[in-house]
Amino acid sequence: MDAGTLVITVRTLAISGAATLLSIIVGVPIGYALARRQFAGRTVLLGFINTGMGMPPVVVGLIVWLLLVRSGPFGDFELIYTPTAMVVAQFLLATPIVIGFTTASFQSLSPRLIDLLRVLGAGRVRMLWLLAREARLGLLAAVMAAFGAIVSEVGASMIVGGNLERSTRVLTTAIVTETSRGEVERALALGFVLLALSLVVNVALTIAQQRNRP
Amino acid sequence: MDIRLEDVSCRRGGRDVLGIPSLSIASGRVTAVLGPNGAGKTTLLRLIAGLDRPYSGKVLVGGETADARRRCVSYLFQEQVFLRQSLLDNLELGLQLHGASDAEARERAIAGLQLLGIESLADRRADQISGGEGRRASLARALSLASPVLLLDEPMAGLDGRTYTRLLDELPPLLGAFAATTVVVTHDREEAFRLCDDVVILVGGRVRAVGTKQEVATNPRHREVAEVLGYTVLTAGGCLVATPETGFTLAPAPTALSAVVERVTDVVDHWEVVATIGETRVHVRAPRSDTPPTPGDHVWLRTSVMYELS
Repeated sequence: MDAGTLVITVRTLAISGAATLLSIIVGVPIGYALARRQFAGRTVLLGFINTGMGMPPVVVGLIVWLLLVRSGPFGDFELIYTPTAMVVAQFLLATPIVIGFTTASFQSLSPRLIDLLRVLGAGRVRMLWLLAREARLGLLAAVMAAFGAIVSEVGASMIVGGNLERSTRVLTTAIVTETSRGEVERALALGFVLLALSLVVNVALTIAQQRNRP
Repeated sequence: MDIRLEDVSCRRGGRDVLGIPSLSIASGRVTAVLGPNGAGKTTLLRLIAGLDRPYSGKVLVGGETADARRRCVSYLFQEQVFLRQSLLDNLELGLQLHGASDAEARERAIAGLQLLGIESLADRRADQISGGEGRRASLARALSLASPVLLLDEPMAGLDGRTYTRLLDELPPLLGAFAATTVVVTHDREEAFRLCDDVVILVGGRVRAVGTKQEVATNPRHREVAEVLGYTVLTAGGCLVATPETGFTLAPAPTALSAVVERVTDVVDHWEVVATIGETRVHVRAPRSDTPPTPGDHVWLRTSVMYELS
């Protein structure tokens, strides 16, 4: 692996990793609330979120581009064509996935378990932590699905990142570039790197997930 | 810590499932809530625990609304509920959440397991134990918390014969030792009477009888109560009930009922007597005596369980 490829790989991992982390921080509590609380419009909201799980990256990229572009509402932040813009777009793609999986895995816990923790006197934060540990299988599946979806997407990264060689080129956009240049072998090699990256991350998460399996 | 319900009602799916104008559960005593399936027993227990709110009325535990006092209550659920970790960790967690330090939690958790004779299972994961062990572990957790209020939902359900008998022998002294205000929900009469001091009979979401177990057992007053207590109601629309064990005893007594003997059968160790009281025919098990009653005799039927049905 040459230095250029290494830089792109690290950048890919950093951008998608940051977006995944943010989507967990935001998505898990929302999923937890959706699983625990009953309110008007909850089912419809879940429907929207489940639709969001399959959102086309290109469309999300376009929307983020419209928001961040110089003449757009958030143009003053000068974020367009930066790694930050890519994190924002990937975050928007990953969050519905995290929320959807999280809601399902919290809902599959026994309601009696929640009763037990309430009677034992668990506060809100403690409750979330203990239940998250119980729902670990589903939550780690959420992380894998989210990371897998955004590390492999190309549309949003291309549009909001601009595929700038020095700052925003990631593995997927690099593959597109190399292919269009006719550098098929290099494109293929990058493809293998992407797969290897996915493999390493997912194997690590799977080990964490299956440890002490019930 | 006493428990008081005032004008409590509870609804589920637009239907009234519980309606209790007033009920007091005495401090430091073991009260059994006895009733058939669907009588609202668990609903009542959940209200006391503060897990559910009543549709109307107040549930007071130690004079305060149950919600706020949630931390004083220890609850044994009908289903076995544990976190996916060792039994010891499960017990420790409960104690830590109740404010015990780590060292104290460990000590009391081990003591709890010892109390139920399952200290050898301390490191076993909660999903790798049998039903009987799980029940013991649940009891150990509930008791180790030493809460002033102990709520047990069908503590003996689903245990095999041997385990059931052993646990039923062990439980009364344990409950006595903790002296918490204990409420045991059960549909089993024998269990209720073995475990409790007081009985609340719940049928169709209504309290049909309440009192010490002696009071309730010897004076069921309503047909429903008699049925819950396992008595055979002898007459269809009438006024007699009898315990399956003792039936009636034949003896002249001031509180007895006059009957005319119709037929007497010799059954190894007792007389099977058919007698009539007015229009009502009753079957009576009479202990063997020197002189059996003969048809046409006027006898007194004395029973501890004979009532007018209102």
